[in-house]
Amino acid sequence: MDKVPDGLPQDAENVSRGGFNLHAGPVWRLPADGEVRRFALVIADKHMNGSGYVHGGLLMTFADVAMSQTSRAVSGAETCSTVSLTCDFVGPAKLGEILEARVRVTRHTRTMVFLSADIEVDGRPVAVATGLWKIA
Amino acid sequence: MSGVPEGFRQTRLVDPFELHVGPIYELGEKGAKRFGFRVDKRHVNMRGVIHGGMLMTFADAALGQAAWDATDHGNVVTLNMQSQFLAPAKNGDWIEVAPVLTRRTRSLLFFRGDFTVDGLAVYSVSSVWKILGAD
Repeated sequence: MDKVPDGLPQDAENVSRGGFNLHAGPVWRLPADGEVRRFALVIADKHMNGSGYVHGGLLMTFADVAMSQTSRAVSGAETCSTVSLTCDFVGPAKLGEILEARVRVTRHTRTMVFLSADIEVDGRPVAVATGLWKIA
Repeated sequence: MSGVPEGFRQTRLVDPFELHVGPIYELGEKGAKRFGFRVDKRHVNMRGVIHGGMLMTFADAALGQAAWDATDHGNVVTLNMQSQFLAPAKNGDWIEVAPVLTRRTRSLLFFRGDFTVDGLAVYSVSSVWKILGAD
């Protein structure tokens, strides 16, 4: 088992196994909150922009990983591909803060999954993403 | 499968996350630049296909450079990015984009970008940026 960082529940599970997921992560799966699937990322030095805030590319990566994990979980498919993703950047986040993605399934068909993710720090909004996944 | 196409020079990056996933390269002059990078094993998933997060990060970096050029190094931030993933790119591919400034207002920049591998469209974005201190 991977050591869970401070500030995350002990049953958090690392879902970053390799490649870009691990290079940019790690992303942790948290226990679900009812219908809402939750993921976390602890902001480290490598995740920052030059102004001292978390980089937009990292926020979109985190949203993509959280929603891709959810699309696989709800479809049961081994792989799902991101078809589109829209992200609004609504507030800053800083080094050491814990990003939480709260993912909701809007609709799930035989071939597609429609998802949204609210990314927050302590309940404060940082980014809002929606996206469409194709079940492979 | 490796190396940088002739004429491209390394882009000077400052953001730690861009340095972490880069380098990226550019060709041409301010206002008409092309940006590119070579996909390597850091950028792909378990199937050897580029991760959407890397494409979106490259888009944010390339459009950020174009926004910086358009504002003479103004303080610019991404407000929104819409991404369409058209076709998979693979380890070893060279991906490039020529960002298009669709419209500029006093406080906003509207961009779009079509990303290609060997002329094939793999990814496209439209994105709104804010010029801080301009409102």
